[in-house]
Amino acid sequence: MTIPETLDATFEGILLDWEGTVAHGRAVDVHGLQGRIDALCGFGVHVFVVSAMSVEDLDAQLAARPSGPGRLYLCGNHGAEVFRATDRGVDLVFRRSWMPQEAAALDRAAASVVAELEARGLMAKVVAGGPNLRRIDLIPDAEGTGTARLHVTDMLPALQARLAQADIAGLPGVVELVRHAAGRAGLENPRATADVRYVEISLADKSDSARFAARVLADEGVTGSLVLVVGVELGSLGGVPGSGSAMLVDELSRAVVVSLGDEPGGVAPCVQVLGGGLPRALEILDAQLERRAAHRVPGVDDDPRWVVPLSQDPSKVRVTETLGALANGRVGVRGSAEHLGPHASALFAAAGLYDDQSRLVHGPIWTVADVPDDSSQPAASAVDLRTGVLVRADAKSGVRSLRFVSSDRVHAMALRAEAVDGVLVPGDVLDVPDGGGGRIRRRGGATVASSGSPAGRLTVAARERWSGSGGRVTLERLCAWSTGRDRPSAERRAARQLARAASVGFDALLAGQRRAWAQRWRGAGVTIVGGPEAARDELAARFSVFHLLAAAAAGGEAAVGARGVTGDAYDGHVFWDADMFVLPALVALRPEAARAMLEYRIRRLPAARAEAAARGHRGARFPWESARDGSDVTPRLVHGPHGEPIPILTGSHEEHIVADVAWAAVRYAEWTGDAAFLEGPGRDLVVETARYWASRARLDRAGRAHLYGVMGPDEYHEVVDDNAFTNVMARWNLERGAELLEQVQGSTGGGASGREGSGGAEVAAWRDLAERLVDGFVAERGIYEQFAGYFGLEPLVVSDFARPPVAIDVMLGPERVRTSQLIKQADVLMIHHVLPTVPPRGSLERCIDFYEPRTAHGSSLSPAISAALLARVGRPDEALDLFRTAARIDLDDVTGTTAGGLHLAAMGGVWQALAYGFLGVRTDRRRVVVDPHLPSAWSELSMRFRVLGVPVEVRASHDVVVITSSSPLQLAVAGTEVEHRGGEPLVVPIRSRSRAVMTAAKRSPS
Amino acid sequence: MTEIPPTPPTPPTPQDLERPHPPQAPPMPIVLAALEQDDSSSSVLGTGVQFAAMIGAGVEALHAGTSLPATLCMLARRVGVALRRVDGPADRALVAELERPEVRAIVVGAGLERSGHHPVGPTTRYVAERSSKFVVIVPVASRGPEGPLRHLLVPLEGTESSSRPILEALLPLLVTGAEVDVLHVFTEETLPRMLDHPVRDFELIGREFLAKHCPSASRILLRAGSVADRVREVCDKGQCDMIVLSWSQVSSVGRARVVRDVLSTSAIPVLLLPVVGDEGPTALPDASSHGAP
Repeated sequence: MTIPETLDATFEGILLDWEGTVAHGRAVDVHGLQGRIDALCGFGVHVFVVSAMSVEDLDAQLAARPSGPGRLYLCGNHGAEVFRATDRGVDLVFRRSWMPQEAAALDRAAASVVAELEARGLMAKVVAGGPNLRRIDLIPDAEGTGTARLHVTDMLPALQARLAQADIAGLPGVVELVRHAAGRAGLENPRATADVRYVEISLADKSDSARFAARVLADEGVTGSLVLVVGVELGSLGGVPGSGSAMLVDELSRAVVVSLGDEPGGVAPCVQVLGGGLPRALEILDAQLERRAAHRVPGVDDDPRWVVPLSQDPSKVRVTETLGALANGRVGVRGSAEHLGPHASALFAAAGLYDDQSRLVHGPIWTVADVPDDSSQPAASAVDLRTGVLVRADAKSGVRSLRFVSSDRVHAMALRAEAVDGVLVPGDVLDVPDGGGGRIRRRGGATVASSGSPAGRLTVAARERWSGSGGRVTLERLCAWSTGRDRPSAERRAARQLARAASVGFDALLAGQRRAWAQRWRGAGVTIVGGPEAARDELAARFSVFHLLAAAAAGGEAAVGARGVTGDAYDGHVFWDADMFVLPALVALRPEAARAMLEYRIRRLPAARAEAAARGHRGARFPWESARDGSDVTPRLVHGPHGEPIPILTGSHEEHIVADVAWAAVRYAEWTGDAAFLEGPGRDLVVETARYWASRARLDRAGRAHLYGVMGPDEYHEVVDDNAFTNVMARWNLERGAELLEQVQGSTGGGASGREGSGGAEVAAWRDLAERLVDGFVAERGIYEQFAGYFGLEPLVVSDFARPPVAIDVMLGPERVRTSQLIKQADVLMIHHVLPTVPPRGSLERCIDFYEPRTAHGSSLSPAISAALLARVGRPDEALDLFRTAARIDLDDVTGTTAGGLHLAAMGGVWQALAYGFLGVRTDRRRVVVDPHLPSAWSELSMRFRVLGVPVEVRASHDVVVITSSSPLQLAVAGTEVEHRGGEPLVVPIRSRSRAVMTAAKRSPS
Repeated sequence: MTEIPPTPPTPPTPQDLERPHPPQAPPMPIVLAALEQDDSSSSVLGTGVQFAAMIGAGVEALHAGTSLPATLCMLARRVGVALRRVDGPADRALVAELERPEVRAIVVGAGLERSGHHPVGPTTRYVAERSSKFVVIVPVASRGPEGPLRHLLVPLEGTESSSRPILEALLPLLVTGAEVDVLHVFTEETLPRMLDHPVRDFELIGREFLAKHCPSASRILLRAGSVADRVREVCDKGQCDMIVLSWSQVSSVGRARVVRDVLSTSAIPVLLLPVVGDEGPTALPDASSHGAP
């Protein structure tokens, strides 16, 4: 027998239905099965043997004792028990506990069924029972009449004739009768099944076992087509579901399912009938063992909700490389082909590792392989967001590969590739970028390469294993990285890390990778329910969350560049993108990573202080662009195509970054509930930045304070006075700084605090200055003026020229735009986004009406923020348009610059639009506010995150909010104060406000 | 046909000219310079000489007419280029000459256009529309190159079909190291919808554009607006010696606006490269060409 094509895959989880599949009776010798299961577990496969038998009997017959790393679960007793078998014996994992009244109800139900059948003239008998099951023999005289010896296909007509005599509509009629009896007996969720002789009432069945398996596997990152279900009676029998069909639960809906039985009643399309019983089962397992032994390239669960297929357009190869980038918070590699074609832009980089020109160090490329050049027709490739791997398959050459940057062991990376003999041949193991000052050499059994400059060096050690069988050759490459200025010691460290990775092995590294990502997603999941467009939204949202989760390490310090480590655009520099866009997402998704991002700022406080001092100010002035040492690395000018100098003014004028850093520190503390942060290391971020503003502001003759010569987020208007966003942020910064300084003084008895030691006078001065600082709010209009003189500019709106988003400064020319009210991105609206309680009530709606038509959304940061705000004010359908623009910035290369890396800030904005906008989540001291506004295209939005130290899931539809939390939580849901006590999900009905508000909004257009 | 060689030895007889060439190594590529008895002849010939040098070819001067004007003979002799007379209507005669396998290109003057609908005269238009070889059109206002052609300005719209002639037909021929400046002009439709920092993002976009469409170019200029206006602005800065445009040789109404506009305003020679797809020039879509004159 040959293995069908559907089984030409590597499965990571296997469910075996014991009855009928592998063992037709307790006397069957299953020794061959035991050895194979032990071996599969040895390769890391998780096996679940599902049976109606007791685990004791099952274990006695199978006698498997795997030593791992894959696990063997014995799911016996009709789904009521699960044991794990190891080389030390079997250990109970789960057992359903029964209430005495449940057993009594089972007895009553069984007795009732027997009585009713007898009343219809059909003799029946309860023949077996246990804590959770009653079996009724419908042909108790079968042995005497010879019926028991009939084949199933012959026995069924005999039973049906018998039932017909009793005026029962076949097996479905019996099952219906059993269900009614169970209901009358008071059983909740009873299971009723029937075969050609017996009908059973139970409290659990094989669906419970299958769900257990699905749960365990999902925790391992093993889902869908990575799972193989082997059973019998997976179709219908006599009009009722076969006994094995209970295993076909929704959680395994995309698993590969094969039946080894006859299935005379037909099967569902998802089931492939192979027949063959135990011998066929052994063949299937042997094929899996052969694949493992040959180091075949594993697969991914090809789930369209989780897998992002990448373009094969050769003209988009660099965009594809970006979209195929993988990272683990410490390092990242672009999704370049194994063969680096002429247009390739490969990159392996470490976050925060810069050369002496403050540019991201280009490390040795470890994904190269000597395969045919596919640059004219790139291979099909896809990123599996669920497990963080990139798979490639070249139809022309037949080369398949899988690679990952380990999130479990952050220094490890791995690649496996396979092809027929002669296509994949040994070649370069590592490729050192040109101009990187690198070299490749052998060290022990490894190839080691290093590149960079004395300021920062990235070293990679790699080891290959080649194997071949059946005309196929496989390359397995394990790699490890290290950083360090001293090349020899960096090489030694990389070699040591490589030895550790090698001791783990590819399969276990991959298993760890899957597990680590499954764990991440458990705390960061996004689910959007609706039509096909909603599914597209969901994938785009998950793509954003995937890269946010990979952007920062959960420890030490994390420098999150504008493009992370997915490309070298902007040289990996750290902008406000990190503090205002990425960090707010990470405080909820990976608080430890957000803390590491703040640590990056904390460690650069000395440089920020020096910068302030150099400018004649006090406190700390964080730079617009930051790299290794925290000095300002914003280019002062760039050269145009004719060599003409073009000044860049962001470094000198876009000073809101100073308050942004302080805001990030406070946002972290307030969202996570980590109050100690602001009492400790985070305090200086707020106090020192406040001190900067105190010395930066100027008083006019009327005593009002101003910030002259600044640039707001709207960079179309480059140097302005009193940018509202900057001033409001600075005022907030002064107030929070004063608050923290006062707390310190209180705790130290009024002694010195911070560096200045000016005591209470400084606090008072900051509060006074905050009050004096103008913010441009025009009370009679209810809106902020974006900067002094803005209202006097030409009152253009974007729709006069184009449909946003549009780079309108390029379209109309910078001069024209500068003299108009056209703006690049949310500026005033950014105040409402980050400080929602500061603006006067009603200001948000008015500011949206005024500024949104003037906003070109020419910045990748802009659409998501407007989406969040529009959703917040109950205009979710308008918000959805902008959300979709934001979510697809890189997937559709909207900016034309995705080749240079992913727009991480836009991705952070996407998460914020979902959480702050559509779900309406925010913290209010120790309370969590949830106020959802879903667009009509979505029927449900669900997100998981941590808030106030508690993992929660918020699931919102148009009518109800369901909040799941394991810990108590104070909530305000759609204006209703509620308390979640932890445990059972909290269900809060809400009225469908979004549509009503949206309608109202449409009636009064801006 | 008759021929006036640059140095007078013995003129070949008509029999000599009609005698088939003996088999030999591939003939030296030739650039034809089509001289009219007008003000353009000097600049056409000068352009022909420099263009030929740029692609490593020799130059032949042609005059279509009943006789060879003495002024043209003197001009050709001064430059050291052979001059021949060709019979028949000029447009057909020149296209026939272009059929010779060794001919790579023809340099023609823009010519006079009385109707005002076209920036070039009917002969030039006829040749440009039918030539499968390069056609260099020397505008009336051009004084011809003052020296070698060092800087080529190549406006590219960013489609494979319009880039292919540059990549496959022109660039491999360049032997003098002339620099290629690509100009890409965004239209409202092609302008990136977002630019976080236009100047810096343009660097990225430019790199990406060159990687896709002209990797060997020296640099890229990115602009927005009217292609012809932007071309003129670049040329006005005196930083290019020749404009290179690919086009589909289709001159129906509404087509070839860019080529027409550039030819109308250019003061330097314009090289037209025919876009020849698998199905031939006329099968190309509108978007694949800058248009016809």
